[in-house]
Amino acid sequence: MTGDVLERVEQPASARRRLSAALFRHPRVRLAGLLTLPATWLVLVYLSALVSLLVTAFFTVDEFTNAVVRQLTLDNVREVLTTPAYLGAAVRTVAIAATVTLLCVLLGFPMAFFMAKVAPPRSRNLLVALVVTPLWASYLVKVYAWQAMVQPETGLIAWALQPFGLPGPGFGVTATVLTLTYLWLPYMVLPVYAGLERMPDSLLDASGDLGARPARTVRSVVVPLVWPSIVAGSVFTFSLSLGDYITVQIVGGRTQMIGNIVYQTYTSNLPFAAAIALIPVAIMVVYLALVRRTGALDTL
Amino acid sequence: MMAVGLAFVYVPLVVIVVNSLNASTVFAWPPQDFTTKWWVQTAGNPSVRHAVLTSVEVAVVATAVALVLGTLLAFALARYRFFGLQAMSLLVVLPIALPGIVTALAFRTGFRTFLGLELSIWTVAIAHATFCVVIVYNNAVARLRRTGVAPEEASMDLGADGFTTFRLVTFPLLRGAMLAGALLAFGLSFDEIVVTLFTAPPGVTTLPIWIFQNLQRPNQAPTVNVVAAVLVLISVVPIYLSQRVAGESTAGGRI
Repeated sequence: MTGDVLERVEQPASARRRLSAALFRHPRVRLAGLLTLPATWLVLVYLSALVSLLVTAFFTVDEFTNAVVRQLTLDNVREVLTTPAYLGAAVRTVAIAATVTLLCVLLGFPMAFFMAKVAPPRSRNLLVALVVTPLWASYLVKVYAWQAMVQPETGLIAWALQPFGLPGPGFGVTATVLTLTYLWLPYMVLPVYAGLERMPDSLLDASGDLGARPARTVRSVVVPLVWPSIVAGSVFTFSLSLGDYITVQIVGGRTQMIGNIVYQTYTSNLPFAAAIALIPVAIMVVYLALVRRTGALDTL
Repeated sequence: MMAVGLAFVYVPLVVIVVNSLNASTVFAWPPQDFTTKWWVQTAGNPSVRHAVLTSVEVAVVATAVALVLGTLLAFALARYRFFGLQAMSLLVVLPIALPGIVTALAFRTGFRTFLGLELSIWTVAIAHATFCVVIVYNNAVARLRRTGVAPEEASMDLGADGFTTFRLVTFPLLRGAMLAGALLAFGLSFDEIVVTLFTAPPGVTTLPIWIFQNLQRPNQAPTVNVVAAVLVLISVVPIYLSQRVAGESTAGGRI
């Protein structure tokens, strides 16, 4: 018996085993092996693309050929910052994004609260699946559905409002806000749900025991605790609304947002479009910097 | 309140499917008559079929690349500490964290102006792969963190070398998350329009691009309705499967 064990141990290690042992002893080699491919891709393909966008904003364009001329100039940035039309579009876009975010919070928080605290545990997974599934159903199809619904005379909303004598919203800012709210609602519900789930039920009980009515409990106990999750959700709804150019084209009528200005100008004047595209980047950087202080980014 | 919210979420999708069966070509609401002839007609439409094929090709390539890169990255970031870890985590999320138009234009300037590349189906696939990486990465990382190194260490204590451990212990544990990530990545790529519009040349038409081009053509409306209904149904299936497979991560890794 002992002889068998000794024989097995004395066998020379196979090449594979030696390689495995060597890798085990050198974690940095393993890390390098793992990291090379993805890091190279991300840096070469994506980071360089971002840098090229930044640089292109300072280039200019040949008037006749629309080809990009690689001469550094501040003209584009100056034009973007001083022309009222573009500033107006930027302000409008931020306003739309803020409204959408607010609506998503107002609609999404009750839903998330219901899912996390009120619904019986068994149906919780089902509810989550129900909320997540449309998140992934085609973006374009959803916008298209809303286009059908907000049609001034024949749309679903007009038909539903008929008994009240109200006209449908038609195409425009209202339709854009409604559609964007609809599109990004799951992005708000899910982080808030995750945050609420982490909150112990005993806190709600304790608050009630101390005499607070439900509204007071929500205001003074739940919201402060779940605030980072709400902010995390708002990062998505704000960012996605800020850069959107397709929804506004389909249901927005003549509304101009940053997104569709970029879309309209990028083929004829790429550097100018790049300059405009920097606005949402700058806004998001500021937003994220503000958000970091609330600790919301840790929950992402 | 919950019911209202869910209704709000699902009504437009139901409208799409119902509209695809609407017999009238005006698509007023409520529909008066129902028919399946639009579905039959669309099945035979050559440009639709070509668009479906293109979308599938791009999605398959993007998912495959994302699977490889995302899993490698998940191992690197979940199991090791190194300088630049935070930066890498940020970099992998950026493609979907930045507003779509920014990512789209960045790819456009990167491909055309700086690399001098002509746009092709490959530029579309490359762009898709880049933001699908984070989907796979999120799922894989969540699973890796949940299972920890204990099973792997136990396996090696019992005599298995690194490769065997991966084959018999790590991979089976990771499989579900990878599959969930792949399904989500496929769905995301199939449906993608924002970045695709900027990275596709005139000849390359994915299904969303096809819809976008035909949205303003009233006589194509019935076909568009059918295609839209199909897209809804197609995206619902992989998501549902991925939820069943992934289990613990509620958002499937997108958030």
